[in-house]
Amino acid sequence: MKRIFLITTIACTFLFAAGCSSNTSNGADAANSEKQTVQEVAQENGISSEMKTSVDELNQLIDKLEQAVSTNEMDNVKKQGKEMNSYWLTFENGVRTEFPFEYTEIEKHLQPIYIEAVKEQPNTENMKKEIPLLKTALTELASAKKGTNKASEQLQKAAGEYKTYVLEQSKDLVAATTAFTDAVIKGDMQAAKELYPKARVFYERIEPIAESFGDLDPSIDARENDAEDLAKWGGFHRIEKALWIEKKLDGQADVAKQLMKDVNQLDGLIQNVQLTPEQIVAGSMELLNEAGISKITGEEERYSRLDLVDLAANVEGSKAVYLTVKSALVSSHSDLTEKLDKEFEEFEIALNQYREGDSFIAYDKLDEKQIREMSQKLTSLSQTMSQIANVL
Amino acid sequence: MDGKQPSKLSRREMLKLTALTGTSVALGGLGAFTLLKPESNAPNDAKNEGIKKTEKSIPFYGKHQAGIATPQQPFAYVAALDLTTSRRSDVMKLFRDWTSLSFVLTKGEPINTKQDNKYLPPIDTGEALDFSSSRLTITFGFGPSFFMKDGVDRYGLAKHQPKHLKTLPPFANEELHPDQSNGDLCIQVCAENQQVAFHAIRNLTRNALGLATVRWMQHGFLGMKEGATPRNLFGFKDGTANIDTGKEAELDRVVWAGEDEPEWMNGGSYMVYRKIKMFLEIWDRSSLQDQEDTFGRHKYSGAPYGRANEFDAVDMSAQPDNSHVRLAKGTGQEIVRRAYSYTGELDTKTGYSDAGLLFISYQQNPYKQLVPMLKILGQKDKMNEYTKTVASALFAMPGGCAQGQYIAQALFES
Repeated sequence: MKRIFLITTIACTFLFAAGCSSNTSNGADAANSEKQTVQEVAQENGISSEMKTSVDELNQLIDKLEQAVSTNEMDNVKKQGKEMNSYWLTFENGVRTEFPFEYTEIEKHLQPIYIEAVKEQPNTENMKKEIPLLKTALTELASAKKGTNKASEQLQKAAGEYKTYVLEQSKDLVAATTAFTDAVIKGDMQAAKELYPKARVFYERIEPIAESFGDLDPSIDARENDAEDLAKWGGFHRIEKALWIEKKLDGQADVAKQLMKDVNQLDGLIQNVQLTPEQIVAGSMELLNEAGISKITGEEERYSRLDLVDLAANVEGSKAVYLTVKSALVSSHSDLTEKLDKEFEEFEIALNQYREGDSFIAYDKLDEKQIREMSQKLTSLSQTMSQIANVL
Repeated sequence: MDGKQPSKLSRREMLKLTALTGTSVALGGLGAFTLLKPESNAPNDAKNEGIKKTEKSIPFYGKHQAGIATPQQPFAYVAALDLTTSRRSDVMKLFRDWTSLSFVLTKGEPINTKQDNKYLPPIDTGEALDFSSSRLTITFGFGPSFFMKDGVDRYGLAKHQPKHLKTLPPFANEELHPDQSNGDLCIQVCAENQQVAFHAIRNLTRNALGLATVRWMQHGFLGMKEGATPRNLFGFKDGTANIDTGKEAELDRVVWAGEDEPEWMNGGSYMVYRKIKMFLEIWDRSSLQDQEDTFGRHKYSGAPYGRANEFDAVDMSAQPDNSHVRLAKGTGQEIVRRAYSYTGELDTKTGYSDAGLLFISYQQNPYKQLVPMLKILGQKDKMNEYTKTVASALFAMPGGCAQGQYIAQALFES
């Protein structure tokens, strides 16, 4: 029975990740009923009784947080979020070493909850979505066996997980581009300007995938100097120029329609794309190289000056790959994952100085020193990321 | 946290702790860039043996670091780095890696060309693979800010700061660019082949990524002819008055650090770096008389005024007022000069060339041997009409190390 339970919880996460959200409540229920079974599972290769106590404790703190979230007590949300994270820090090292696979799952859900909780105005919807998943991940840990996941299996799983991520981004890209192009077609400049960066984010996170489909990337994302024939130049940056430089949308409706068509076509192609671990690792480097070549230099969003939006999205996309391969990497290269955790964090801190609302300040407001600081952090991070190929 | 004591420090807590106390905490290193085992002394592949000529290589290990008393090679790169890590253990690891890497590079061997995993970047960047060691030397140093930065004893090593390692005072006729001056660490790379020199500095700085950032990097060159004193870009011989670096007693007197220095400076020295911009367009329209009066030497022979040959003793009575030779000689101090010329981009505003001299000198006590000279030259040197010092740095260069040790080990493990 326990064995079966273990399998179903893992399958549940798989399915959920693939968009099967109806399993959420099952996961949460399972987590609640898990407390009794933890003791029994914690044998032989399972988690130690000390770690089990820590898991129980953490579960209680999560319950308190969940309570605060459901009653919308923001001060308490912040407090409980911090407590949860601090407590996790007291035993995460042991989990990472002994149960890398489960560790990654926990981090994947705990971090977004924590980040949200300490924000000025936490988005409780996100937290409500993540909390049950975190509990499921803890349940998995409670019933985990050491060394049951081999690196190659983990890599296959990583590729699958990353595919899920790509599908999500693509879906969001379609939705955001629809809103953006609708505004353009209606000739609503103000709305179009606001919606432009929202669509860019999803594209920039998965850019290498789009680039793998030949003509689609040039059609969607060409900059003015990339266009062979300016008369035929279309895509995001054509409209960007119309919005920020020409300040009129005459003739842009057709460009918007074509862009929407391209993005839909991309989404269709992505559904069937097969990704190997080698490809996703290479893609994570391409993203950082993009960030280092055209984003940090301010070339990408030359009219809207929203380069930092793209920069952040490239790094987020790369980090998504890292997080999926982390569990396969951590057992043999924990020094590397430790360094990457630190460098991603440092880069994010550097970048977050320039956040403004849900976007970033304009690139041309940065001085040379500020750009250099970010560039150096990005270079270190990229150099370290080039070592994740050790997992292959 | 309900009174529960964490059984182990977490990674983040440990980072915070080390940042606060500056104590070293061994974290098992940062294996990502570990290039080779410290003792890798494997003979060349049979294949390489045919191609590589190592007979001309200058030994990296020894009592003193190479690149100080070593006869000058024609190409140089000098770089300063600023450390971004707060952990002493990271810096130790960096010097361990740099030492073993330098040993391999100065032998003219590839860093590592055996690679099973083709998805990883090559370990050796590769541009020096076809060349011998080219008399490559690599010399490391520490700036004052390594020990104390913004009033903070960063690595708990301030008590080992060498006696004379204090940022140089301001001098007349200088306009220093802060981002081309000073720095926590220094690497001087010299070789007979520019590509070999660049390869070395590139791979060394790459190895420091994540722990340090390159603050500035400067290349230098020197036209050399066997048995002749090289000329600077003013067309004058430069370095005539250098001491004989082949004589250990001379070096002990002028170059190597005194016995009152911390142990890790035993066999070490101080390097002064001054980037001196030369206004070549102005110099080139000055008369021969003016040029020679400026130096106090004859342009073509290199002989001091009133003498026939380059190496004849200077006759002070024949020296023009404020000539370079008169002022420098007048201080009665000696140093070892290892200067290079440099050229940069054209100044797009004026169309002037950016060129000059990288004055690099080694001495036992910069405050005694060089600072008085710089002071008087800054105030009076006739050459100031044609030059301006635009960057400056002082570094303490530790002694050398034996195989099995690493550079500055006595500092880190003191």
